[in-house]
Amino acid sequence: MATRSSSRGRGLMASLRLAVLQFLADPQWLVPSLIAPVIFGLVSFEIFRGADPVFVLYAIIGGAMMSMWGQTLYGSGWATGQDRELGTLEPTLTAPTPYLYVVLGRVIWNTVSGLIGGAIVFVVVTVSYGRPVPLDNPISFVLLLVLVIVSLAAVGIVFSAAYVYTRYAGFIQNIGEFAFYVGTGCMFPIVLLPFWSNPVSLLFPPTWALDALRYAAIPGYGGLSWGFWGDLAGTLGLTGAYLAIAGTVFVRVERHVLEIGDLSDY
Amino acid sequence: MTDPPAIHAEGVRRVFEARKGFLFNEVVRTEALKGVDLDVDRGEIFGLLGPNGAGKTTLTKILSTLLLPTAGRAEVLGLDVATQAHQLRPRIGLVLGGERGLYNRVTARENLRYFADLYGVPIETRAKRIAEVLDWVGLTEAADRRVEEFSRGMKQKLHLARGILHEPEILFLDEPTIGLDPKSARETRKLVRGLVARGVTIFLTTHYMFEAEELCQRIAVLSKGRIVARDTIGGLRRLVGGDRTIEVEGYGFEDIEAERLRHLPGVSRIMAEEFGPRLRYTLRVRTAELTADDLQNALPGHPELTVRERVTALEDIYLDLVEEEAH
Repeated sequence: MATRSSSRGRGLMASLRLAVLQFLADPQWLVPSLIAPVIFGLVSFEIFRGADPVFVLYAIIGGAMMSMWGQTLYGSGWATGQDRELGTLEPTLTAPTPYLYVVLGRVIWNTVSGLIGGAIVFVVVTVSYGRPVPLDNPISFVLLLVLVIVSLAAVGIVFSAAYVYTRYAGFIQNIGEFAFYVGTGCMFPIVLLPFWSNPVSLLFPPTWALDALRYAAIPGYGGLSWGFWGDLAGTLGLTGAYLAIAGTVFVRVERHVLEIGDLSDY
Repeated sequence: MTDPPAIHAEGVRRVFEARKGFLFNEVVRTEALKGVDLDVDRGEIFGLLGPNGAGKTTLTKILSTLLLPTAGRAEVLGLDVATQAHQLRPRIGLVLGGERGLYNRVTARENLRYFADLYGVPIETRAKRIAEVLDWVGLTEAADRRVEEFSRGMKQKLHLARGILHEPEILFLDEPTIGLDPKSARETRKLVRGLVARGVTIFLTTHYMFEAEELCQRIAVLSKGRIVARDTIGGLRRLVGGDRTIEVEGYGFEDIEAERLRHLPGVSRIMAEEFGPRLRYTLRVRTAELTADDLQNALPGHPELTVRERVTALEDIYLDLVEEEAH
């Protein structure tokens, strides 16, 4: 018998590598990852076009979110749904590497491809604007954009657990897609939404991260009352909490599906 | 200290619940396994036979840690499948039949590399091990082709390669030759025999009697969630009433003639089947003394009588056991 050097990090890297290979091998990914961000950038630019020069920042953030949220959040859950469809969920779960690390590898790739989409939106909107984007601090903007996408990834991991839990996760995710998109402030700030919806929005880390991003990028932005630092603390706290509970959720979900026995159903 | 058996199961039950109705408020329970007891020795090929829905795949999944038993206890290599799955998984392999279970858009080699990493095959020997198993299943030339281009037989071989990649001590094969052409099926059986020669224990479920007969040292027959028999093929022949099977075919038999056949020396069981106007009696016979002449003498007035004799096949045994359970 071979000596085994099973490690979680190795499983994570294998999953990341496979995600990249599958991305490169499948032309269908060109649409959401390269073509859609161009369209999102153009649409967002037209939606927010106005006299105030800061509109371009709203357009960049709105368009980037349109692109990133699908790639990162939706993609992370969908990959597990694909495992069900291909029948690879069973052999993957019988492997010694915990499935959470397989998911994490995919989420890292989805995060990177989401950031590429965000960058494409930035370029498209900037070119459409035809002038320099009025960004006071580009470094903090990029760092906050990364934080936004990490917060999306944290939610994506929990969505992924739902795909392991039930074959109906895609159905549930599709129903909640638009509500989540609007409710977390991806397109426009949540302060524009009815007040009663705000407490629900605040349960999701991207809500806080996006508000922090707008505070940092848009001069005179009036978002959630606790301001930039409160948003930042909320983002870090909630993202950490999501990542921390993901491990427990996966252990419980795995136990549950072994009790139910529907891993090969899709 | 002696090694624990490869598999030990005691009273394994499994109940599936399905929710139905508009609001999913109706719960339908199906008892797939009704208390299975089983022991498999190390280094043997153990066959599990049974009709569709008998519970074969359910038992395989429980033993390979993909499903939890509702009740009872199962140990593989001395480890509890429910509570010690993480220790057990690196030591077992699972090959499920069919075309699913592979990443179709990437190559065979990449599929194996991915699972080699998940199973912790040492990095320094990974490439060599992948090349070895590809060679062993005869896929070396196709190693860098996408799996979506593979035939069903090639996919099945790749499943097998993945199952043994991490050198498991026990391999669960769930209908590994289902849907394969005869040549591919024969090659797969040859590979399975090769594994046993390397000391791997095989737990095989199959629908194909000749496959079980060719490969397995011991066989269990599962019917309606219960093991109805478990022995060597010779033992099973004795259980169903003899090594010899004699078929008597003719027209217009009277009931009394069937009774006469039943009471011939050595006849342990008699079954009747109609083929249009013809009737066939199949007799299981324990002794060597009964001859074709004895049968002709027992059925005078039937010059058209056809008598055929053969060794009782596993298929005969299987059908006897499953039909007995059905009644």
